[in-house]
Amino acid sequence: MKWKFTNRVLALSGTVVLYTILPCFHQGDAYAGVLGHREVTRQDRPVSGIVTSAEDGAPLIGVSVSVKGGTAGVMTDAEGKYQISVSNNAVLVFSYIGYTPQEVLVTNQSQLNIRLKSDRQVLDEVVVIGYGTQKKGDVTSAVAGVDREDFVQGAVRDAAQLVQGKVAGLRVTTPSGDPTATTQINLRGISSIQGSSNPLVIIDGVPGNLNTVAPEDIESVDVLKDGSAAAIYGTRATGGVILITTRKNQTDRSTVEYNAYTSVQTIARRPELLTGDDYRRLIRDEGIDYDDYGGNTDWLDEIMQTPVSHNHNLTFFGGNSATNFTGSLNYRNWEGIMKRTGQERFVARADINHAMFDEKLKANIQLINTVASSVQGGGDGYAYRQAIIRNPTDRVRTETGEWQERGGYFYLNPVARIEEFNREYTTRELRMSGSLDYSPIKDLHFKMLGSHIQWSSLYGYASTFNHSDTWLDNRNSNAGRSTGASRSNLLELTSNYAKTIGAHSFSVLGGYSWQDETNEGFNADNWNFPTDAYGWNNLGVGQAVQSGLASMDSYKDNWKLIGFFGRVTYDWNNKYLFMASVRREGSSKFGVNSKWGTFPAVSVGWRISQEGFMKTLGFVSDLKVRAGYGVTGTIANAPYISQISYNFGQTEGAFIGGRWVRGFSPVRNFNPDLRWERKGEYNVGLDFGFLKNRISGSLDFFRRDIDDLLYNFEVPSPPYLYEWITINAGTLRSQGFEALVNFVPVESKNFTWNSNLTYSTNRTELVSLANDQFETTVEYFDAGYTGEPIQDFTHRVAVGEPIGRFYVWKTVGVDANGGWLVESRTGEAIPINDATQEDRQYYGNAIPKHVLGWNNSARYKNFDLTVNIRGAFGHDILNFQRMFYENPKNPAYNMLKTAYDPVYGKRLNNDLVYVSHYIEKGDYVKIDNVTFGYTLPKDLIKVVRNARVFVSGLNLITITGYKGLDPEGVSYSGFAPGNDERDKYPTTRTFTAGLNVSF
Amino acid sequence: MIMKKRFIVYTLATTLGAVGAISSCTNLDEEVYSEVLASSFKPTEKDIPAIIAPVYASFRGLMMGWQGYFDLQEESADAIATPARPNGWYDGGTYLRMHTHTWTPLQWQPQNTWLSAFRSITTANRVLAQIEDGVIAMESGQEALVAELRATRAFAYYLLLDNHGNVPIVTNFKDTQLPEQKTRQEVYDFVVKELLEVVDLLSDDPQATYGQLNKWGVKALLAKIYLNAGVYTGTPQWEKCIQQCDEIINSQKYTLDPNYSDVFTYTNQNSKEIIFAIPYDQIYGTGNIVHMKTLDPASRFVYKMQAGPWGGNAAVPQFIDTYDAQDGRLKDTWIMGPQKNASTGEVVIDYVKLLPSMAATESNEGYRIGKYKIKEGATGALDNDFPMLRYADVLMMKAESLLRLGRADEAAVLVTQVRQRAFRDTNPAKATVTGDDLKKGSSYNYGLQDENGNVQAGPGSGGADIQFGRMLDELGWEFAAEAHRRQDLIRFGVFSTKAWFNHSPSSPNKALFPIPAEEINKNPKLAQNPGY
Repeated sequence: MKWKFTNRVLALSGTVVLYTILPCFHQGDAYAGVLGHREVTRQDRPVSGIVTSAEDGAPLIGVSVSVKGGTAGVMTDAEGKYQISVSNNAVLVFSYIGYTPQEVLVTNQSQLNIRLKSDRQVLDEVVVIGYGTQKKGDVTSAVAGVDREDFVQGAVRDAAQLVQGKVAGLRVTTPSGDPTATTQINLRGISSIQGSSNPLVIIDGVPGNLNTVAPEDIESVDVLKDGSAAAIYGTRATGGVILITTRKNQTDRSTVEYNAYTSVQTIARRPELLTGDDYRRLIRDEGIDYDDYGGNTDWLDEIMQTPVSHNHNLTFFGGNSATNFTGSLNYRNWEGIMKRTGQERFVARADINHAMFDEKLKANIQLINTVASSVQGGGDGYAYRQAIIRNPTDRVRTETGEWQERGGYFYLNPVARIEEFNREYTTRELRMSGSLDYSPIKDLHFKMLGSHIQWSSLYGYASTFNHSDTWLDNRNSNAGRSTGASRSNLLELTSNYAKTIGAHSFSVLGGYSWQDETNEGFNADNWNFPTDAYGWNNLGVGQAVQSGLASMDSYKDNWKLIGFFGRVTYDWNNKYLFMASVRREGSSKFGVNSKWGTFPAVSVGWRISQEGFMKTLGFVSDLKVRAGYGVTGTIANAPYISQISYNFGQTEGAFIGGRWVRGFSPVRNFNPDLRWERKGEYNVGLDFGFLKNRISGSLDFFRRDIDDLLYNFEVPSPPYLYEWITINAGTLRSQGFEALVNFVPVESKNFTWNSNLTYSTNRTELVSLANDQFETTVEYFDAGYTGEPIQDFTHRVAVGEPIGRFYVWKTVGVDANGGWLVESRTGEAIPINDATQEDRQYYGNAIPKHVLGWNNSARYKNFDLTVNIRGAFGHDILNFQRMFYENPKNPAYNMLKTAYDPVYGKRLNNDLVYVSHYIEKGDYVKIDNVTFGYTLPKDLIKVVRNARVFVSGLNLITITGYKGLDPEGVSYSGFAPGNDERDKYPTTRTFTAGLNVSF
Repeated sequence: MIMKKRFIVYTLATTLGAVGAISSCTNLDEEVYSEVLASSFKPTEKDIPAIIAPVYASFRGLMMGWQGYFDLQEESADAIATPARPNGWYDGGTYLRMHTHTWTPLQWQPQNTWLSAFRSITTANRVLAQIEDGVIAMESGQEALVAELRATRAFAYYLLLDNHGNVPIVTNFKDTQLPEQKTRQEVYDFVVKELLEVVDLLSDDPQATYGQLNKWGVKALLAKIYLNAGVYTGTPQWEKCIQQCDEIINSQKYTLDPNYSDVFTYTNQNSKEIIFAIPYDQIYGTGNIVHMKTLDPASRFVYKMQAGPWGGNAAVPQFIDTYDAQDGRLKDTWIMGPQKNASTGEVVIDYVKLLPSMAATESNEGYRIGKYKIKEGATGALDNDFPMLRYADVLMMKAESLLRLGRADEAAVLVTQVRQRAFRDTNPAKATVTGDDLKKGSSYNYGLQDENGNVQAGPGSGGADIQFGRMLDELGWEFAAEAHRRQDLIRFGVFSTKAWFNHSPSSPNKALFPIPAEEINKNPKLAQNPGY
């Protein structure tokens, strides 16, 4: 049945449609002729000319002129002139940074003058949108894209860091210096309570994550910011969508590129702690009850190293217009700033395209294989804490070479922790995807995309006999192993038809998507080993399993997601633009009563600059207003939360009938009505370009209302089984403004300077926690935790309040005994010991009011320089470092030098408490990424087509009044943002030197 | 043109049709692997222990768990306090508020008891409903099972009756209406009625029902409720208390263990004295963390522990001062003086009696709870079962009731019986007390204590004026660190009238904890207790 249709359509395309696409074929024939012919005849002759800029007619210097498919190439001189020898019917390629490359067929001319167009012709740029692409000029929703040449350079961790500060409203930070950590990313604020606020990441059409491909392998990163753009992805899209396009062979020339860099790191900022000499001075002068062991050890130095990392990337491009190949090998070996930390990663990617049947059928196969492995010691946040609190007069080892340990509460030698603990974590991912694109007639495409992803992890850990697990906890080495695996499948069928008839252009997209994922895992641990030589490799030997103390666990779950979607676009005369889409999507994770949801979107645009009355305003190159509304959803994190199910468990067990039995109890309060979180988002935007797009950009205003939030709602028990039930309750509202301005301050023969500014502000508020099942509720929930010994929550999220507020006793002074005075609910100053929970108040907000990015790239002759500056303003940070270590009360632990400084004129003598004194302004400006590069002259080395060396610095300079380590090294996600935790992996400053060569 | 469009439509329709026709393409049924679906599980009689286990399980987390019932009863009373330590234990002032009776409806400890009690109640209601509906297929024994579930539910209500007083009563699992609040009198009536209705349906075999409520457990519970009936309802029930105690005594099912420490040690499941225990096990039934909270970290070397204790609560020095130095229960209840490393013999810490203040103590200050003997190699969870109701308690309840009915000499015989094992090895003569002794005031030197350990005269000082104060002292010595003290202080009129350590006399309203603020928010039918 289907085959018949295909045949008929094929036949049709051969007759009816031939006429319309004839010019295309003609061109194709011509090229084919060139390629075929060149093999036979080689009658080289000189061709010369001048290359000028299409904008102002100025000659362009250093333009690369080469024969397509060959190796020969020259550059234009100071007057824009070139001369090159070519055979007849060769194709010359003119390429130049910042300009659109141009290919010209040489027939019998000897003089070829070329006018290169600046690629700031942004309106013709193509941006990637869901299930397709669109010309930037036609876009009616809030999307942003960053291409390869504008990426952040240097030792970049993942895809998000490539675009850090470059997409307005997309906040990317690196809260940890751990080389195995990922970036933290957020688009337009918090959008879910229990689900994820993270954007959906799609790599070449297949869901993945920011680490799926190496940064070097990425061609562009596009971000669907608003609901009207993202709604085609339905339930996964509330946090926005990031579309990553990998590098593809753009020409039919064979190329090899090699990129490498080496980097070293230093701690971004060191805490200033009391030294051994400070201890002795305080004992002598003030009689402080410190133990003096006589030494002077810098414990931070003892746990840290100067990490040297390197990174190599080899990319091959080959093939022709019918069959081509892109392959890349990426090897990364990153060391961490803490001793015995780091990660080694290998990513191989192969991408094969083949076009057949007169290019009616295009096939693509892509394989990505990633192996990441971390062989590490016990360096973690807890070791960092131990280095901070350890007595600086103490020593690392005793005279006999043993670790110097002391008694004490949570007080361990940090170097021993690092050295006497071993762990290895390996993940492997194999992604296989293939697509067929069948175009029976021009403008009509049927596409099938399938993928299968296998991921697995293997973890092992073991402590030696010299670790506190043994000498303190009597465990005689402690070891464990765990493994996890997931398999996911995706099948997507789409059909797309696009057509222009006179002034009317329209396109129709329809599709089906099926996704299935299975996760499973197993873990076991054991201790009481006869030797520590086995590590985790002979777990059964330990005796904790016989004595019933060891644990073992396994799990498996599965979810499915099925969607039908469609989209239409229409524009009239490039003036009036319209787009509408809808996705009907169902998830197995939801209750039987509401498996399916519908996610519509509509957006419109008006290109004012195309109107006749605008033609007089010559300085306006482009002006477009657009508005959109779209609905997206958020899925619950865990499957099965609507199920009526039971579990056997030891914690619910009891001693019944003379023996211990496991308890059989319901897993949760049942809710068969569980459904999507639903986000409706309005976005109004303006795109502009002035002075031939020398200044261009966009402004976007948005408001998103997220209803039916999945929330663990507090219910009375009885009548309910448990005190909370997962239901759809409450509303979050975010609103904000984003601006992007690109401008070119200087553009001349030898010197160009491109600059762009991004700005965003947003505010998320909890509008309600109400729902249709319960009349009343607690109008707030608490979030964040200080950790012991303070043991308190830090934030309160309340109806009518923005997200990010601290909830704390506000300090107003210190009494004669050094105890905190706090403000009571009636406004009086009371001792903290008399304060109750009712005296706490909302204080500050951890979400920045303003986030700025300023990115510059400049080129002078062969030198290039990029400088990226970022900043965030109008927010507060809870400085745990000061809360725990700027208090002289407990001399058993080391503290900051500032601990003895007077507070409100007096020295503090109060237990550690969570009070507003430790909440600081978090404003900062970072000169983050500075890269200086030099491109070697073209003809320096014959086989080398292009070579560039560069040096780069990341997180170079931070200008801030914040007293902690790094105002950006803080979590901004979730409901307890701005907690600058005590146990951390400090953020780093990275210096990189690298090389890019292509052959 | 039209032709072409038609083809496109056909092709589209075929593609989508093909997709739609395969039903698996829209099938969203969940495949569940690591949970048991209710629809596919048919419980049989062998599953009954597992089904009723959760009714008891929440008591384990409650009694000796983190900020549980033990802390609620002891930290609000005069024998145990949790002062700030160099390594922490200020915790936002939560222990200070327990000590000074300045808790509010946001205080977690009372809420914890509320939640755990109601968790047992809801679970019992659920299982009762499942039995009623025939979901759980039973051939025989249904009557006894229903009786046990009702008794356990009544026990949970007893905890609420004692601590929160005015709570809702829910017995029907299927009623999803927000429950109505009942008065303390109504809760009392309900608990007593339930227990009386089921008591004779329960097993009378102590061995087979260890850890569960049997006939004797229910009788001891009834005695306990009658003992406090005056507090709960304004009408004392001394005779009824004596009657329940007599039935237990006359049954001869229980006896005092030869050694006081046998009742609390890590093998106390063998005790002949315990009538109702909350069983704990370091592997199967974790949750007894009393040692973790009380011991200093250095004490781990004394017991070769596999966990590091946290170093918090300790005995109030004034309470220690009430002990007779020859009372064996002093050393059996408290850890005092130098502690030695089990391997090297080196002194790792020396616990001293003095606690300077709630605000600042050194890590070795204050005697620690040693009643629940710590097994060598203990983990963070002790094996020791918590004796909720025991035979000595029955004897003492009867003694107090007799005393209050003017039969002091009969009471003295029972108190002497309990005291005998405490003085057996030191000075047996001291075991004997007389009726006149029991009529005396308390030897507890009430009053605020300064940082040097001196007790100040002032409001709420002295113990001589406490009626039957000696009986209160006897209860203190026998049941120290058994979560009895708050209830006893209330019954003897001491709880809100006396001062001790850093605690000044509070308000009579504090004898009931507040209804947790969160519960009032969830159920607007609940009104707050007076004084909050």
